[in-house]
Amino acid sequence: MKLSIYSLKKVLFQGSAQLLNCKTQLGEITVLDNHEPLITVLTKGTMKVVRLPMSNETAGKEEYFEIKSGFLEVRQDNEVRCIVEQ
Amino acid sequence: MSIGGYIKMESPQNIKKRLKSVNNIGQITKAMELVSATKMRKSQEIALASRPYAFAGLELLANLSVLEKSAKLKMPELFEVRKKINKVLFIVVSSDKGLAGAFNSSVFKKFELHLKAEKEDWKHEEHLYLAVGEKANAYLNKKGFKVIKKFVHAGDYTTPEQVLPLSDYIIKGYLNKDFDRVIAVSTHFKSALKQEPHIRRVLPIDFEHVKDTIKEIIPEKGKFAELIKEQNINFVPDEKKVAEYLIEPNPQEVIEKLAEHLFFMQVYHLILEANASEHSARRMAMKTASDNAKDLSETLNLQYNKSRQGKITTEIAEISAGAEAQQ
Repeated sequence: MKLSIYSLKKVLFQGSAQLLNCKTQLGEITVLDNHEPLITVLTKGTMKVVRLPMSNETAGKEEYFEIKSGFLEVRQDNEVRCIVEQ
Repeated sequence: MSIGGYIKMESPQNIKKRLKSVNNIGQITKAMELVSATKMRKSQEIALASRPYAFAGLELLANLSVLEKSAKLKMPELFEVRKKINKVLFIVVSSDKGLAGAFNSSVFKKFELHLKAEKEDWKHEEHLYLAVGEKANAYLNKKGFKVIKKFVHAGDYTTPEQVLPLSDYIIKGYLNKDFDRVIAVSTHFKSALKQEPHIRRVLPIDFEHVKDTIKEIIPEKGKFAELIKEQNINFVPDEKKVAEYLIEPNPQEVIEKLAEHLFFMQVYHLILEANASEHSARRMAMKTASDNAKDLSETLNLQYNKSRQGKITTEIAEISAGAEAQQ
């Protein structure tokens, strides 16, 4: 899926990802490919992103972002967007 | 030492002293000019870095506001225009430091004009003031206005963390009905050479106003202006698509939270824009000052040479007069 994570200061992540794990108001969720359209509120916690193995270098590489709050929007065309406050 | 013959002309020593200090001033203003130019570019870059966030947030809001039309959801209080306006909060955004040309005074002038222009309708409204920057605080206090809070010493580049208490304070006060409308007076960064004071209503939130603010992140002319062409963002959502969204925990809560975030973002941008304007105004002021210093030092140099020459001439005249008398 296409994932972008934006904060006010910079673009934290932009590219293809396998998996996104984050905390929402209703509990922790993991977004995988072709998730149904969703809009939700993120809460304080760590977001985990697993990169899509494009080449050997970035294969399965995990990235973590500390956030204070934010929003998650899963769109129809396998596109996920987050705006977060750090 | 006798200088009888040239009272009109200053002594070379005095001119030399003045010349030195003028040159020093020139050096200082030149240095400040260069520093401000770098700071201006950096603050512009900071403003641009938050663009993706701003656009994503706005699009999300556009999607959600479709739900409002289908009556599934009430717009949050931050969007609602109150019928009776009793108290109005003015946010005056200025700089902490001076030496920035007309930057601060043009904001204050605009503010005064605004107060004068619509005085009739506002007779029943109570005005409150909030100062951003030391200069605004000093100005409002001098005018005897009621400053309920001040936010100062943000440094050269304002960070989101610094703006958060400000926007929280305003939102709390607004929801508490401490004020019914919030108006911001700040500077709009048109280009490195041109900045304009602007008056905007920030609360209740108007979708169009937020959109304008975000569009203005990109200056109209100059280094970053070409970015405008790249952006092609659609703020008219597809209603069918929106209906399919699963919204957790519920649309009402999401849109309320989003409204707060958008407001925070708007305040952040107002201040960032003021930052960029401050630095470029200072750069221009310092450029004029160093140009003036250069002119002045040239004139003084000429004066110094003339006065020195004059002194030599008189001395020779005195000597030859003395020699002639002895013959």
